[in-house]
Amino acid sequence: MAVAEEAPVRPAPTRRAGRRRFVPGKAWLTVPPALYLLLVLIFPIVLLALYSVFLLTNLIGVTNVFSWSAWQEFFPSNPFTWKPWSTESVFWNRFTLSMCVTLIVSLVVTVMAYPLAYFLAFVSERRRYVFLFILLAPFFTSFLLRVLAWQVMLNDSGVINSALWQLGLLQDGQPLEIFGMGIFRTWFSIGLVLGYSWIPFVALPIFVVLENMDRRVIEAAQDLGANRFVTFLRVTLPLSLPGVIAGFVFVLIPTTGEFVTPQLVGGTDTYMFGQAIQDLFIGTAIQWNTGSVLAIWLMAVVVVLIALSSRFLVMDLREGTE
Amino acid sequence: MNPTLGRWGKLGLGSYFWAIVVFLYTPLVVLLVFSFNNSTIATLPYSGFTTKWYRLAFQNQEMVDAIFLSAKIAILNSIFATALGVVGAVGLSARRVFGRSIITALLMLPLVVPYIVLGIGMLILINQVNVDQSMWVVLAAHMVITVPYTILVVLPRLRTLDESLPEAARDLGSSDVGAFFRITAPLITPAVVSAMIISFIISFDEYAIASFLVPPGEKTFPIFVYGGTKVPEQRPELLAIGSTVIAVSLCVILVAEFGRGWLERRQTGRDSLAVAAE
Repeated sequence: MAVAEEAPVRPAPTRRAGRRRFVPGKAWLTVPPALYLLLVLIFPIVLLALYSVFLLTNLIGVTNVFSWSAWQEFFPSNPFTWKPWSTESVFWNRFTLSMCVTLIVSLVVTVMAYPLAYFLAFVSERRRYVFLFILLAPFFTSFLLRVLAWQVMLNDSGVINSALWQLGLLQDGQPLEIFGMGIFRTWFSIGLVLGYSWIPFVALPIFVVLENMDRRVIEAAQDLGANRFVTFLRVTLPLSLPGVIAGFVFVLIPTTGEFVTPQLVGGTDTYMFGQAIQDLFIGTAIQWNTGSVLAIWLMAVVVVLIALSSRFLVMDLREGTE
Repeated sequence: MNPTLGRWGKLGLGSYFWAIVVFLYTPLVVLLVFSFNNSTIATLPYSGFTTKWYRLAFQNQEMVDAIFLSAKIAILNSIFATALGVVGAVGLSARRVFGRSIITALLMLPLVVPYIVLGIGMLILINQVNVDQSMWVVLAAHMVITVPYTILVVLPRLRTLDESLPEAARDLGSSDVGAFFRITAPLITPAVVSAMIISFIISFDEYAIASFLVPPGEKTFPIFVYGGTKVPEQRPELLAIGSTVIAVSLCVILVAEFGRGWLERRQTGRDSLAVAAE
């Protein structure tokens, strides 16, 4: 590759050399990783797209003829009369339900993470990086093992229930219920575990924005007579919105296609979109064409989410470039 | 001193922070406490202290094999993904990159593609080119998801380097490659080590993608853990091995984080000395 060549001797670095000449620089080094991702990431997505329109199929005896049929089956035939409980377009219902759960979880997690970031940025003074480390450390231990720990705590004779029985706060043998919902194998346990997994990660971008905020702006607001609450509402909060949005999207994107958590702590009533995709590929009802439609749709949703928030997501990469 | 919060606000916020920290660490503590519980089911009251689950766990050949298999994949992944990431980061650190935004987007894309799409995409790819499910396929997929992290760790370090250092080496007759290995490489070593540790941890722990790509009968450690959660008899052993793995990984990131900070401080100290000597 070009790098191995001798670099031309450069004149004094007062002005950039070789602007007019073509010098094969180190920028070419982006090619190997980019090629790898094209082959192993982009190409499979193209294959999925081909599967979704029957230009490829794993069904035996079916010829590969272009057809929208899998897409037509996926979308409700009439979006205006569509009801979430209708039995038509099962996978679409699955998607809207999962999306609602994901949105609620992301929203709650972001709201819960904000005070953490605020504490780190404005209260913890010099020890902030130690505190940040304490907050993030569990994130680097095995996700599956942490979910296993939740199973141990939440199940019907688990640590939480048995502790409540021992303390006499709950009748023996009767599992705890919150809002008429059991705490295990329900939407509650899924929300809890998802929130648990993502809180530290959401606090991080908010913390970065708060920490880099110009403190003089806050002082100026107070000099001009705003009290603490108004200062927060009209200065700090709006200025930290990029971090909030980045954090929100950080949870939203991975949880949209989540299938491991609902498998481990969910039940039969909490079948999510990701699980539907998994079942169509390696589960009990294998149908790769329909599965590809679902997967491409999931990708499309993610791409739209990123496009809407890209301004806030790529900030740290642009920083430092001229 | 602190213009944004009153005394009670600070106190409230502090209590909230530490409450969340307790919430985050509770499952880890529960895992540890009940791994010493002398009972097959984890429930209160506590049935007494025992270390037999640890003994049984390390005698469980299937579990030990799974750990070694995952470690093998994770080590290979940390080498290959970091190599690819360093190459990409050096490329991106160039002053002018043709199509920088598109290339950056492509290299960061794995961070946002849902793992399920990556898993089935890989499954379809190997099906298309007639390759069987194998550990190499798992490795290839883990490289995809870890390359962006390695770039994110190494690139900022490359950007803070004094560009005149490799330039000076080249002026003194060194080749680009020589300048990289003699000057740049030692300076980015702490970041490279961090990148390797991060890619090791991610690969070692990765279940979602691997679940599509492991050949039948073989088990990586996460796949073993997943299977174990379905079998109640195996749970105490799983708690024992889980506690061990969590303790080890906490130690590793503790050492890694503080080690990196220490190394970089030492290097910066040296850099500023060099500047002062001029």
